[in-house]
Amino acid sequence: MRTSELERPSAPPPADRHRPRRPGVVDWVTTVDHKQIGILYVVTAFGFFMFGGVLAMLIRTELAEPGLQVMNADTYNQTFTMHGTVMVLLFAAQVTTGLANYFVPLQIGAADVAFPRMNALSYWLYLFGGLMVLSGYLTANGAARSGWTAYVPLSTEKYLQGAGQDLWIMGLAVVGMGGILGALNLVVTIFSGRMPGMTMFRMPLFTWTVLVNQLLILFAFPAITAALALLFLERNFGAAYFDPARGGDPVLWQHLFWFFGHPEVYIVILPAFGIMSEVIPVFSSKPLFGYRAMVFAVFAITALSFSVWAHHMFVTDAVNLPWFSIMSLLIAVPTGIKIFNWIGTMWRGAIRFTTAMLMALAFIAVFLIGGITGVFLASPPIDFDVNDTYYVVAHFHYVMVGGLLFALFAGLYYWFPKMTGRMLSERLGRLQFWLMFVGFNLTFFPQFILGLNGMPRRVADYLPGLGWDALNLASTVGGFLLGVSILPFLWNVYASLRRGRPAGDDPWEGFSLEWATSSPPPQHNFHELPEIRSERPVFDRRHAAAGAGAGGGDLGRDGGAGG
Amino acid sequence: MLRSSVLAAPVVLGGCASHGVTTQGRDIERLYNLFLAIAVVVWAVVTGLMLWSIVRYRRRGDELPPQIHGHNKLELTWTIIPTILVLVLFWATVQTQDRVTGPAGDADPVRVQVLAFQWQWQFTYLRPDGQPDVQVIGTTEKVPELVLPAGRTVRIRLASADVTHSFFVPRALFKRMAIPGRTSEFDMTFDRPGLYPGNCTQFCGLDHARMIFNVRVISAEQYRQWLTRQRAAGGTGT
Repeated sequence: MRTSELERPSAPPPADRHRPRRPGVVDWVTTVDHKQIGILYVVTAFGFFMFGGVLAMLIRTELAEPGLQVMNADTYNQTFTMHGTVMVLLFAAQVTTGLANYFVPLQIGAADVAFPRMNALSYWLYLFGGLMVLSGYLTANGAARSGWTAYVPLSTEKYLQGAGQDLWIMGLAVVGMGGILGALNLVVTIFSGRMPGMTMFRMPLFTWTVLVNQLLILFAFPAITAALALLFLERNFGAAYFDPARGGDPVLWQHLFWFFGHPEVYIVILPAFGIMSEVIPVFSSKPLFGYRAMVFAVFAITALSFSVWAHHMFVTDAVNLPWFSIMSLLIAVPTGIKIFNWIGTMWRGAIRFTTAMLMALAFIAVFLIGGITGVFLASPPIDFDVNDTYYVVAHFHYVMVGGLLFALFAGLYYWFPKMTGRMLSERLGRLQFWLMFVGFNLTFFPQFILGLNGMPRRVADYLPGLGWDALNLASTVGGFLLGVSILPFLWNVYASLRRGRPAGDDPWEGFSLEWATSSPPPQHNFHELPEIRSERPVFDRRHAAAGAGAGGGDLGRDGGAGG
Repeated sequence: MLRSSVLAAPVVLGGCASHGVTTQGRDIERLYNLFLAIAVVVWAVVTGLMLWSIVRYRRRGDELPPQIHGHNKLELTWTIIPTILVLVLFWATVQTQDRVTGPAGDADPVRVQVLAFQWQWQFTYLRPDGQPDVQVIGTTEKVPELVLPAGRTVRIRLASADVTHSFFVPRALFKRMAIPGRTSEFDMTFDRPGLYPGNCTQFCGLDHARMIFNVRVISAEQYRQWLTRQRAAGGTGT
C-alpha cells in the first residue's frame, strides 16, 4: 500500500475559521461538523424509530385477536405501510449512516468528512424528505397505503387516490438524494482522507462495512429513484410504464423496486456487521479473527446482493428460478464466514459481558435464525408456500430488527461514552437487554409458525378457528415487551447526560483510533495521533507502553508496535 | 376443532410446514423437511459453539489472552462445508421445482380459470375445448368455493382483472401471483376430499384481508353430479 503521498492532516487553527461555535439550536442547525451531523442523524433516525414503533404497537393491538377492534381496514393499511416505510427507509438505513458520519473520520484519523457542507445537505434532505413522507397524515385522504413496497397497479392513481401517496413518492425521492450525496461523501472520505499509515487493510471493519454499504447505496438508490419517478409520472401525468392495457408491465416495478430493495437489506445490515466486528474483539480482548476473510466476505455479499433481487418474485412466474435461487443460497456462505469468525474471535478470549457485548451476542443468536430462514426462502418451492405469509414477516424481522436493532444498541452502548463523555448505566442496559431479547423472540418466533400455518401478511383481520389466535396474542404480548424495552434506554440516556460517570478517553480498552482522542473529541478530532502499524493502533500503543508481549501468547503482527 | 388443535401441536413445536393435501404440496413439504433437518443441525452447532465460547472464555483475570489473528484451515473448513450444503440444497430444490411447476402428466386435466379481482374470486370451469362452462363468483355474503374432484389433475389458469393478487391454498403449500396483463398456469392434484381454506396473499387494497375462498374437494362422482346441478341452475353459482 502506498501511503507516502497522503499528507498528515494538519491540526486546524485553534479558533476554527470556517465555523465559530454559536449557541444552542443555531449551532446544531448550521453545523457542518461531522460529529454533530452524525448525532443529528442518529437522533432523527431514533425519532422515526419511535414513531414506527408506535405504529407497530397499533398493528399488534389490532391483530391480538380476530375482528376489527381499534381501527378500520383503511387505517390499518396506512399503519403498516408507514410502519414499513419509516422503519426500513427512514430509520434502519439512516441510523447507521449517522454512526458512520460520526465514527468513520475518527477511525481513519481524519479531521472531518471530505465535503462537510454536502454532509449537512444530505442530513437536511433526509429530515425534510422524511417529514414529507409523514405529512401524508395531514392530507384529506391520509397517508400512503400501498405497503412500503408500493406494488403497481395498486399504487397508481386508478386504485389509490390522494396526495398521501404522492408525498410518499416525493419524500422518498428526496431522502434518496440525500442518501446518494451522503454516500459520495463517505466513499471519498474513506478513499482519500485516511491518515498516513492507515492503509486499506488496516481500516477497522466498521469503516470497511460503511465503505461497501455506501457503494451499495450509490448503485442501488438510482434504481429506486427512477422507479419513484416513473410511478409519479404514471400517477400524475398519465404515463403508462406499468399499465398492461397501454403496453406497460406491472412486473417492471417489481424488478426496479427489488433491484434496490434487496441491496437495501445489505445497506442496512452491513454496518451492523461492522459494529459487531468492533464490539466483539474489544470485549474479547482479541483481534478480529480472520480480518481479511471478513473483508472479502463483505465484498462477496455485496457482489451477490445485486444478483438475488428476483427471489422476492419467485411466485410471479416471470423470473428465472434456478439462477436467483442459487445466487441467494450462496449468500449464506460469506454470511456464515462472518458468524464463524465472530465466534472465532471470542474463542480463547477474555470476554467481558458489558451491555454492548450482550447486545452483540444477541445479534448472533437472532441473526443466525434470520439467516437460516433466509436459506429456506431462497428455495423457490418453499417460497411458493411461505411467500407473503407471516413466515416472511418473521424472517425479515429476525434479520432487520433482530440483526440491526441488537447491533445498533451494541454500537450505542459501545460508542455513547465517546460521543458524550459519559458512561451509560450497565444495570439499566442489562434490564433493557433482557426485555428486548425476550420481547423480540416472543413477538417474532410465533410468526414463523403462523406463516407455516398459512396466515397471510398485511391483513387487518383474520377469521377465528384457524389456530392463529393464541400465537397472535403471544406475538402481541411480546411486541409490547419489546416496546417497553426502549424505555430503560431513554431513561438511561437522559440520566447519563445529566449525571453520568465521566468516561475518559478509552473506557473499554478499545483498539481503533476513536479511542485515541478525548471523549467527546475536539472539533478537529485529534490533538495527536498514534502511529499506525496494524489494524489496532490504540491496542498497539497501550501494549507498547506496558511492555510489548504482555500476557504472553502470540502477538503476531501486533508485536513491536510503536518502536 | 379441538382435534385439529391437538394434531397441530407437534407441528407447531417442530416448526414444520403444513401437511400437504396435493401431490405437489407433499413434494414441497418433503423439501421443506430436508431444509429443516439441515437447518436444525447448523443452528445447534453454531449456537452451541457460541454458548460454549461464552461460558468457557469469560474473563477471569487481567491477563491478556493469546492474540490469535486467524486460522486458515478452520476458515477454509467453514467456507467449504457450507458451500457443499448449499449445493446439496440447490440440487434438491431444482428437482422439486421441476416437478411442482411442470405439468402433472394427466392428458385430460380439469381446467379452471381463476380470475382475481378486488376483493373476490371468480372460478370459471372450462370445457375440454376451452369454452367456459360453469362459473362461480364470490360475494360479500358468501365465500366462493372452488369445487374440485379428488385424484385428478387440476390445471389452474390464473389472471387478474385489476391489481396484483396472489392465489394461495395453504394446505397445498402453493401460491401464484395474479398479475394484470399476464396469465399463469399451474397444476394441482388433490388426493383426498376435504375443505381447505384459501386466500389472497398479495396486498391488494382495502379489503385484502377479506379476499378469501375455500377449496372443496369431493369424489369424482360427486363432482360430476355437482357440475350437472350447476349447469341446470343456469351455469353460475356461488
